Amino acid sequence: MNKTTNWIVGIIIIAVVIWFGFLNKADDQIPSEKETIKIGVSIPLSGDVAFLGEGVRDAMLLAKENLGYTKYNYEIIFEDDQFNSTNTLTAVNKLISIDKVSVISSLGSNLGNVVSPIAEENKIVHINIGASDSNVAEGYYNFIHWTQPSEEVRILVEELKKRGIKKVGIFVWNQQGMVAVIDEFKNKIKDTNIEIVAEQVHNEGEKDFRSSILKVKSSGAEIYLLATKSPEVEILTKQIKEAGISIPITAIESFELSDQIDLFEGNWFVSAASPLNSFNSEFNEKYERNPSFGAANAYDLINLIVMASESKKTSTKPTTEEIAEELLKIKSFFGALGELNVMEDGIIWSEASAKEIKNGVVVELE
Amino acid sequence: MEIFIQLTINSIIAGSIYALIALGFNLIFGVSKFFDLGYGTMAVVGGYSVLYFGKMLGWNIFLSILIGVILAGLIGFLINKFIYQTLRQRKASNLVLIIASLGVFTVIQAVTAMLFSSQFQTLSQNIGQNTYNIFGGIITQIQLIILMFTIVIMLALAWMMKKTMFGKAIKAVGDDEEVAKIVGIDTNKIIAYVFFIGSAIAGLAGILIGFDTGLEPIMGMKLILKGVVASIIGGVGNVYGGVAGAFFLGFIENFGIWKLSGEWREAIAFVVLILFLLFRPRGIFKK
Repeated sequence: MNKTTNWIVGIIIIAVVIWFGFLNKADDQIPSEKETIKIGVSIPLSGDVAFLGEGVRDAMLLAKENLGYTKYNYEIIFEDDQFNSTNTLTAVNKLISIDKVSVISSLGSNLGNVVSPIAEENKIVHINIGASDSNVAEGYYNFIHWTQPSEEVRILVEELKKRGIKKVGIFVWNQQGMVAVIDEFKNKIKDTNIEIVAEQVHNEGEKDFRSSILKVKSSGAEIYLLATKSPEVEILTKQIKEAGISIPITAIESFELSDQIDLFEGNWFVSAASPLNSFNSEFNEKYERNPSFGAANAYDLINLIVMASESKKTSTKPTTEEIAEELLKIKSFFGALGELNVMEDGIIWSEASAKEIKNGVVVELE
Repeated sequence: MEIFIQLTINSIIAGSIYALIALGFNLIFGVSKFFDLGYGTMAVVGGYSVLYFGKMLGWNIFLSILIGVILAGLIGFLINKFIYQTLRQRKASNLVLIIASLGVFTVIQAVTAMLFSSQFQTLSQNIGQNTYNIFGGIITQIQLIILMFTIVIMLALAWMMKKTMFGKAIKAVGDDEEVAKIVGIDTNKIIAYVFFIGSAIAGLAGILIGFDTGLEPIMGMKLILKGVVASIIGGVGNVYGGVAGAFFLGFIENFGIWKLSGEWREAIAFVVLILFLLFRPRGIFKK
């Protein structure tokens, strides 16, 4: 072999060695046995709002089914909190200490506020669905995947202006999320000719609204804003009708929180972002029912967690800190709710929409 | 004026619901001398029986109501027979009986939630929904029925207590159980019948509330609390006192939230309770 041939053979050997080394390195990056990332979900699977929890659960399972190839296994553990803070506390402690989850999901402002400090203390990623109270997203590990009150109230005020409504009577549930929405509404109408002529706050479990209705009726309100939940929203609407009042009612989200949607027939309201038709069809096909309020958020939540976890280039399972870090980097994510952006403050931003109950179905207003 | 009339009607509606609960509660307390917390769940038994027979099985609604009332009475009777009576025979203190009744309350509430879910349910959206205009104030048919039942049951109980041997025996047991035994009254039998009647009244209240607003397994605690407050205001163990206390509570709550806000309803009720306990512990009417 001449000198040139020696050089060529040498280069080939070095290239082969480098190639095999690279392959081995690449193999190291894919775990030989997939590690599991556990996602704990505390939702109401029994009680007044069980239908919301069931929708969230089914959407998450659908998202998991649609995942395709992933570097890690994803296990979703559901706990029934009955939409109750004591049960949520028990469920979250169990998910953290026994199940060793990396991510926790909760539903609504009041329960989100229960989970947030625990998640922050234990350095567990927490993504809440349905919180209107931005305090839920406080801290590095906490996120909210819900259309924020500022956005919903913006649409509400626009709609009130468009319809020439100036006097609003409010029924509000004494809960952080609802109070945050009403506070935002008060801020937004400061520079308009819209005024709140009556405001009646009620506690959870209230069933007799008759005298509160009378008080709001006597204020001369042109529309009643119902900022409450099920079953109070249904009882309130029923008692307004029984009192012979024909003033229109509206809401921020509340109508969609009810499973008796026909009670609100003909009334418009403002709500969180609507799911895309493709998601609605897929959900409907799989479960033979329409997705409940928040189901699309739940679907996206699983995909966001997977996207954040899979972004990591190293061979080992990402830490919760790394998942949180990757979540914050997600921009222009196209999910069941359309385009989503994770903001610096941990809020996954989505647009609000004005809707109407027409023939027992929620339809978007043009 | 129209507002005043409507507020008065609202107060009467609330008062008549509290009165129904207070009537049965006072009757039972009069002979058993302990706060039977399990009594609140008899309303749950009545309401959910009608939900099951009338709505789920589609039986005749009046037959379902009758079954609901009897079933509530029967369960109250059996609870007394197998739990409270046994404890009384063992000379258990009132504290033990209250704890036992809390156990009864928890079990019935949990079983109801397991059988029918914890979700809020309405008995029917079409029954009793007609409205009547009274001097400008509006009242629904079911609310009028609640008021009528309250008056009828109060009068029936008053008649029973005054004019029948059974009523006199109830009074005797209430005054002194030992002396009643000495004069030949079968006190256990009297207490058992009282539990049946009181529980049946609670069952009826639960059914009517189910038609008016709706049902949920946890409704018992709120009802028993309002019944207890009304009884203490009116005079514990006094049939008329309980009714007077219930209407007083209804008026105070509804006129109070007219000045304050709806969120103050419970606070108003319990502030009034504390004031009565401090300044008139025997209530409006002495026993």
